[in-house]
Amino acid sequence: MSHTLSYGHAIREALVEEMRRDPSVILYGEDVAVYGGIFRVLAGLRDEFGERVFDTPISENVIAGSAVGAAMAGLRPVAELQFADFIHCAADEVILKAGTWRYAHGGAFTLPLVIRAPSGGMGFGPEHSQCPDAYIMHSPGLRLAVPSTPADAKGLLKTAIRMDDPVVFFEHKLLYGMKGEVPDGEHLVPFGKANVRREGSALTIVAWQEMLRRSLEAAERLAKEGLDVEVVDPVTLNPFDRETILASVRKTGACMVVEEAYRTLGVGAEIGAMLMEEAFGDLDRPFRRLAIPDVPIPTAPHLVDAVVPRVDDIVKVARELAPK
Amino acid sequence: MDDATRIEIFRKMLLSRRLEERVRQLSMAGELPATLHPGAGQEACQVAALAALRPDDPMLYGHRGLAYWIARGLPPEKILCDIAFKEGGTNGGKGGVMHVVDPSRGIFGESGTLGGNFVIGVGVALAEKMRKTGRVVIMFFGDGTSNRGQFHEAANFAAVKKLPAIFFCENNGWAVSVSAKVSTAVENIADRAAGYGMPGKVVDGNDIDAVYNATREAAERARQGEGPSLIEAKVQRFLGHYLGDPEPYRTKEDVAKLREKDPLPRLQQDLVKRGLLDDAKLGAFEKEIAETVDRAAEFTRAQPPVAASTALDSVYAT
Repeated sequence: MSHTLSYGHAIREALVEEMRRDPSVILYGEDVAVYGGIFRVLAGLRDEFGERVFDTPISENVIAGSAVGAAMAGLRPVAELQFADFIHCAADEVILKAGTWRYAHGGAFTLPLVIRAPSGGMGFGPEHSQCPDAYIMHSPGLRLAVPSTPADAKGLLKTAIRMDDPVVFFEHKLLYGMKGEVPDGEHLVPFGKANVRREGSALTIVAWQEMLRRSLEAAERLAKEGLDVEVVDPVTLNPFDRETILASVRKTGACMVVEEAYRTLGVGAEIGAMLMEEAFGDLDRPFRRLAIPDVPIPTAPHLVDAVVPRVDDIVKVARELAPK
Repeated sequence: MDDATRIEIFRKMLLSRRLEERVRQLSMAGELPATLHPGAGQEACQVAALAALRPDDPMLYGHRGLAYWIARGLPPEKILCDIAFKEGGTNGGKGGVMHVVDPSRGIFGESGTLGGNFVIGVGVALAEKMRKTGRVVIMFFGDGTSNRGQFHEAANFAAVKKLPAIFFCENNGWAVSVSAKVSTAVENIADRAAGYGMPGKVVDGNDIDAVYNATREAAERARQGEGPSLIEAKVQRFLGHYLGDPEPYRTKEDVAKLREKDPLPRLQQDLVKRGLLDDAKLGAFEKEIAETVDRAAEFTRAQPPVAASTALDSVYAT
């Protein structure tokens, strides 16, 4: 049995269930308590959980850093940064503190914290539109979830809250309103297990979040042309399920990555390098990336469309990669 | 402060000074890596502040010396093993002397980037408050670190949330080679407390009573739910920023003048005056401490290096 939820409400349902289950879970950030989060997915939580849900000053260093401290001292904080771009404001706290404190102190602590942040494009310009996935994936000590459906958003967030490691949890802004079926009852989605969203034999496309939605739309169009592509959603980028991608590429012989981030040293670059190391003999066509061409993300919608991969762009590159 | 506490503060200051002297000696001889940022001259405020707190009150310590850990009863050999990257330390070679840790003694570690202690410390304080443990968090920092942005964010957050926290500044007037006169416009770091709506107090960091009383008052206030305090101890750094620092930024005469304020002989004379110490007792202390330091050094020498294969451990808990 299942029920229909939007991605945003699925996140809310995960938080409600986990906060009811475990009194050590707290939730805070800018505009979180009274306003219910800048994208309003948290409305009503303050009423139910009182001081366990609170607003903070505009202080990203303290939002992220205090989560590390609170986690060291027995709580399970879920801290929200208002935009994923603000990871850069709190880079010391996220990358160096959440990521390395446990290691630097010889494993003396567990750091069960989640940093939630809305990522991706809505035409908000260079500092409010990024998907900073690669920065986090590059940094040891941090788990990274990139949910693409309401069911995954709920199940991954519940798993994240229960994990004893720091998790960065990027919620894509364009997906908040997306509706989908969410299994009833206790729904937990494991980290490190990719999901083949569409089976196919001609080509493997790896994509997540909004780029997954566009890739699946492209796949439908390509199917009508007789090109049967497989679409793999990594679900989490740390841990990263190499095996599912490698198995797919061994089957199809070709791979392209579609990502909503800068091209150079992006997640796609990492996947390409992995294929060179581990699937060189299985590729019979060149590896391809579709990504933002190393420019800051503009604000005007038609400029955004000129740099962020669109369905048409995916279709075009996929055709070029069709088996000969 | 009772007599036993007074003597214990002296003993821990003396042990910290002697242990640090041994670390310097072994580092100069090449037996230990020269990674310590020496704290000679600042032991009184460190030990006295911690004496005013409960043994399990969480502490995030600063870069200066070993006294924070000695004050919490950490065995000296654990410190030496961390410095030497040997088995038997507290962080298995992952963090060296900068990340000595023992949560059971309230030693919660240190941020390598200055200022990280503030935001992590107020997070610990947030948890202690929400969990109603009655614990107070102390964050040690230097005058230099007070210029990091995290100081501002954490001080404001702690004050507005009335968190049980003590911001304890050891103002030695130097940030590596940069004088506070060049880096900081206010005379007292404690003056900044007013801007956050918390009490700020300047104390003589060489006066254990002043430090102890101020810390005790701040801790009581915090435990009663009244929020954080800022204490600024005026101290002096006898040695360079690191072992081997040529100190081109100050003269030998400057340092000699600072040494006149040494809190160790000052407390020693005070204890003699109070009838708590005489030559025989002092001799016994020195002998016991020398033996402790010898044993710690020998233990460390005999320990195996941390196994290289462990470099991959402890990144994740799961």
